[in-house]
Amino acid sequence: MLARVANNLFWMGRYIERSEHIARYLNVNYFSSLDAPNSLSQSRQFVLHSMLFMVGEKEEDPTKVLIEEDVLFKIGLDPDSPNSILNNIKYARENANSARDLISTELYESLNKFYHFSVNYPVATFVKNGLYDFTTNITEITSVLRGKIRGTLLHNEVYAIIMMGMNIERATQITRIINSKYNDALKAQLNCGEPLSKSFEWTTLLKCTESYDMMRRFYKKTPTSISTLEFLVLNPNCPRSVMNSLNQVYQHILLLDTNRYYNKSSTAFLVGKVKSEYQYKHIEEIEGNIKSFIESILESLSQISIKMEKEFFNY
Amino acid sequence: MANIDSGIFSSYKRNTDLFDELFDENGSIKSVYQELFDLYGAHSIKDYVNLNDKAKASFFNQGITFQVYGKNETQEKIFPFDLFPRIIDSNEWEIIEKGSIQRSKALNLFLWDIYHEKQIIKDGIVPLELISSSNNYLHQMMNLDPPGGIYNHISGTDIIKHSDGNFYVLEDNIRCPSGVSYVICNRTALKRALFGVFNHYKTHTVTDYGENLLDLLESVKPKGVDNPVCVVITPGMYNSAFYEHSYLAKTMGIELVQGSDLFVENDFVYMKTIRGPIKVDVIYRRIDDLFLDPLEFKPDSALGVPGLFAAYKKGNVTLANAPGTGVADDKAVYTYMPQIIKYYLDEEPILNNVHTYHCSRPDELKYVLEHVHELVIKPVDEAGGYGISIGNKLTKAEIENVKKQIKESPRKYVAQPIMSLSVHPTYIDKSESFEQRHIDLRTFTILGKDKEYVLKGGLTRVALEKGNLIVNSSQGGGSKDTWVLKN
Repeated sequence: MLARVANNLFWMGRYIERSEHIARYLNVNYFSSLDAPNSLSQSRQFVLHSMLFMVGEKEEDPTKVLIEEDVLFKIGLDPDSPNSILNNIKYARENANSARDLISTELYESLNKFYHFSVNYPVATFVKNGLYDFTTNITEITSVLRGKIRGTLLHNEVYAIIMMGMNIERATQITRIINSKYNDALKAQLNCGEPLSKSFEWTTLLKCTESYDMMRRFYKKTPTSISTLEFLVLNPNCPRSVMNSLNQVYQHILLLDTNRYYNKSSTAFLVGKVKSEYQYKHIEEIEGNIKSFIESILESLSQISIKMEKEFFNY
Repeated sequence: MANIDSGIFSSYKRNTDLFDELFDENGSIKSVYQELFDLYGAHSIKDYVNLNDKAKASFFNQGITFQVYGKNETQEKIFPFDLFPRIIDSNEWEIIEKGSIQRSKALNLFLWDIYHEKQIIKDGIVPLELISSSNNYLHQMMNLDPPGGIYNHISGTDIIKHSDGNFYVLEDNIRCPSGVSYVICNRTALKRALFGVFNHYKTHTVTDYGENLLDLLESVKPKGVDNPVCVVITPGMYNSAFYEHSYLAKTMGIELVQGSDLFVENDFVYMKTIRGPIKVDVIYRRIDDLFLDPLEFKPDSALGVPGLFAAYKKGNVTLANAPGTGVADDKAVYTYMPQIIKYYLDEEPILNNVHTYHCSRPDELKYVLEHVHELVIKPVDEAGGYGISIGNKLTKAEIENVKKQIKESPRKYVAQPIMSLSVHPTYIDKSESFEQRHIDLRTFTILGKDKEYVLKGGLTRVALEKGNLIVNSSQGGGSKDTWVLKN
């Protein structure tokens, strides 16, 4: 496979995954705030600031009054905002375009329909009353895309590259969402005296990652900071957890090259090392210092990405 | 049973001055179309509109689109497609197929000759200026022997049926002819929408093009290579034919590369893969000569590969088509095709040539200037239907303007009588009915080492604007599925 095309497929995977997480974040935060237990979590300003924080467009002045329609437009459909859902989908399709000869017709057709759906979505509807409809559609279509990736591509190096992109991105986005909700929980503690460990924001966090039902099933208890983090970071069976994503990254890097994990400068070696680190971590280590955990996992993921670039995409 | 007075053909207006592919001069259906006419006639216009919309959506969703370069923005459009197919019976096809191969072979021999001994010029069959004044002649190709002796591996021949019922060639395209992917997509779309109609006809397949193309590429591998690595090179995804490039790479199962994916070391060509460099032996190139190699041609070309031509010259890589073929598909060479065929093959041309006036010859120039209103004026080295003036469509002022242009650079122009392209019933969105539209046919001929093949179908292009004779997609043309019937 051409190095350039591999790079494009890697990013196609990342952009598809990213658009889904942003869409879900908007959806869940907006709708769970409507009847949130404390006044802060219920406030629209709080939610809008949280949304901007999550997509990396944090408003530096926390007291600034945000206009709902502007924020939704900026994150959803703004063609001039590089992080908007629309642009993520556009980049995904552009990357797929350049690798059209390698991916299946079925996958391309779905992705192309996905693009046309988003680009033609009426902006006025979206910012007034289309948030639920639009974001639900995005998450549904990304599931279809995931199905097409799994079901209509040979499970060879093309597939492995896409899956690596998706899983690195998933781990990254889950961490970002944790960071964002952790930040919100701190605010809620400061403002309303809601104890951090029992914050309402942990429930929202689980819903943002589509993990609430799974978590309830596993712990059979109301989510707390420690159980939520344990579940979303360390539980290898939760398909959204950082651990699960790392395992997938490892599995697919081996599919890409079965020999390189002996070589200490290879991506496979690095992924294995990071994976093992989290495999043998326990939640108390993380809970004590959530901030530095978040920084360190994001750093490791970015190191993996840089390594991949050097090893496979260097053209 | 359908008849002309009801169903989807009820409002079909037949201009009897034009050669209609479906109806004979008395207005009866030609026998080969009778069954199809009955089948389609059984549909109401509403059914048809419905099917047509579905077919369009299918093209759009599959992303089978091309870019149109406008003044301000580039638009993504589907290639308009008509659900009513064109039928070519086996007798007519035999003429087209043999004629296309004959022309491709003659052009190949001509290219070999003008890049070697130039015997045809020495023998006085064609004038020296034909070559020496051509922009597409590449002196770099002199005395180079391309593998298998093949220059024009892939030729696209544009053929029309005139009002006299005979086939004429309008153009030979032997640089990078495009359109073949649409032949296959049209077939797929028609099968999806109206698969039933195929039960009534025995039609040749068009899906074997990819395998034949790959066979060809492998047949012209450089010396000493056992299992050649073949690739398709594209200018990139913003090129108007990118869909076709990716389609061909996909059906052949080979890599689609851009210039930046390749590099040359010690006169060998390599592609950059995730596992390091892999040597490339045969390149089906879809970029123009002058962009191939910045060291040899246009120094600012970012599409090509530095050193590619040197590798080609050493015989370490094959380019298909060979560089420099453009000299032979220019409209001035076209006018000598009957003589060229006779000279190399000692055969009479199977397909007719349209009579051509050379503005470079004083007496013919005089005739052209006096008869602009009844001629088609073409620049000799433009592709895509650009720069063509059709005399009877011009205002007086425009005619004067054309005359002025011709006088300024006579070598740049040729003129031909206005050919009347045959017409075919075509569904028109605006009027929601079938109307007569002019059509042509582009055949795709593959010439390899001991191999010749013509895709049994070809691209029937339709000029969608009423009365328009220019069928190119860049000028608003559409296309039809084309059925070549088995014996």
